[in-house]
Amino acid sequence: MKRFRPDVDAPEYHGPYAPYDIIKEGTIAFLVVAILVVALATLFGSPDEQAVTIRTWSNADPIDFATTALGELNGTTITAHYGAPYNHGSLGQELGPLHLANLVGVTIPVNPIQDFIIAPLSSVPNDHPLRVALAQWHAAPRAERATWVARYTRAAAHMTWSNGHIVVPATRTGPLGVMINSLTQMARSGALDQALVTGHGFYTTDYTKPLLFVADGTYFANLAKHQHLLGAQWGMMNETDSYPGQAWLWLYTFWYQVPPFSSSPNADVQVWAIMMLASLLLLLVPFIPGLRSIPRKVRVYRVIWREHYRSL
Amino acid sequence: MAGLALLAALFPLDHLGGYIHWGWVDISYANAIVVALMVIVFVAALLAPFPGHGRRKESR
Repeated sequence: MKRFRPDVDAPEYHGPYAPYDIIKEGTIAFLVVAILVVALATLFGSPDEQAVTIRTWSNADPIDFATTALGELNGTTITAHYGAPYNHGSLGQELGPLHLANLVGVTIPVNPIQDFIIAPLSSVPNDHPLRVALAQWHAAPRAERATWVARYTRAAAHMTWSNGHIVVPATRTGPLGVMINSLTQMARSGALDQALVTGHGFYTTDYTKPLLFVADGTYFANLAKHQHLLGAQWGMMNETDSYPGQAWLWLYTFWYQVPPFSSSPNADVQVWAIMMLASLLLLLVPFIPGLRSIPRKVRVYRVIWREHYRSL
Repeated sequence: MAGLALLAALFPLDHLGGYIHWGWVDISYANAIVVALMVIVFVAALLAPFPGHGRRKESR
């Protein structure tokens, strides 16, 4: 006869049986949860944070918006350096010798200068000064554009918002003053939000570009910090305001708080790899000697079925 | 609007909450309460007797 192997073989059951109505239990569970949901929603409500758009951002902080737009022209923003799947700005995060995002390639091409600045401005109708400015930009050689941007950037530290206009004390910056001001006006009217989501087929639900643009500024990050939602604040498991959040994501966000991940430029891919490994271990528990014996050795099952074990 | 006011939460949570800081642990009071409730439910599930257990007729 084959030897009985604990954790692998199931012993034959010789105890008593009892009828059990699983439909009844399911119905009771559903009703209890439904009553709890209605009662808790009545007591506490639910999060209803207004979406942050380019319009709200540029009205709340036009200087941050204009500075970010300038950063797009400079190629210094997060989007400009992101790499795959948006562009070739960098190789992306690395896991050992692997650049995982780069392996997939640029599947959602985003050119910040063209997509965030030039294309939206080109869609503005009946604006002669802007049309002249764009023509000057297109006609200029790359080196001259870079000189304009560099001069504008040097003076941008003294940028002010005055009488509904961005004012930068800089000269010989070509069309940049008109372009940045027009883009800011466009943003404040809400037209830039619209310009960045249209042009992707019949349904305009692709918010990739406005989201990337908003994330390049400091306004959105400051809002997130205020609401305790940054990665370094265990933000993944938090909700806005005083609502409870996704507490079950504690292990995922835990890794971001401890070295070496807390200071690693590759933390996202490293934490992802650890969690995939942990998930694999969980999935394979029945096949891993030692790990699969834990429930048997901890003997919690004897607490649950204590009456049965007492009668043995 | 009066009808909508009736639907408003009795204890709205749409204001910034507090956080418990303990070393590198940083958890909101709301999350801590939910975690504590989950632990209580887990322990209750272990220790509470099965409902109607005494009334069940055993059969083979």
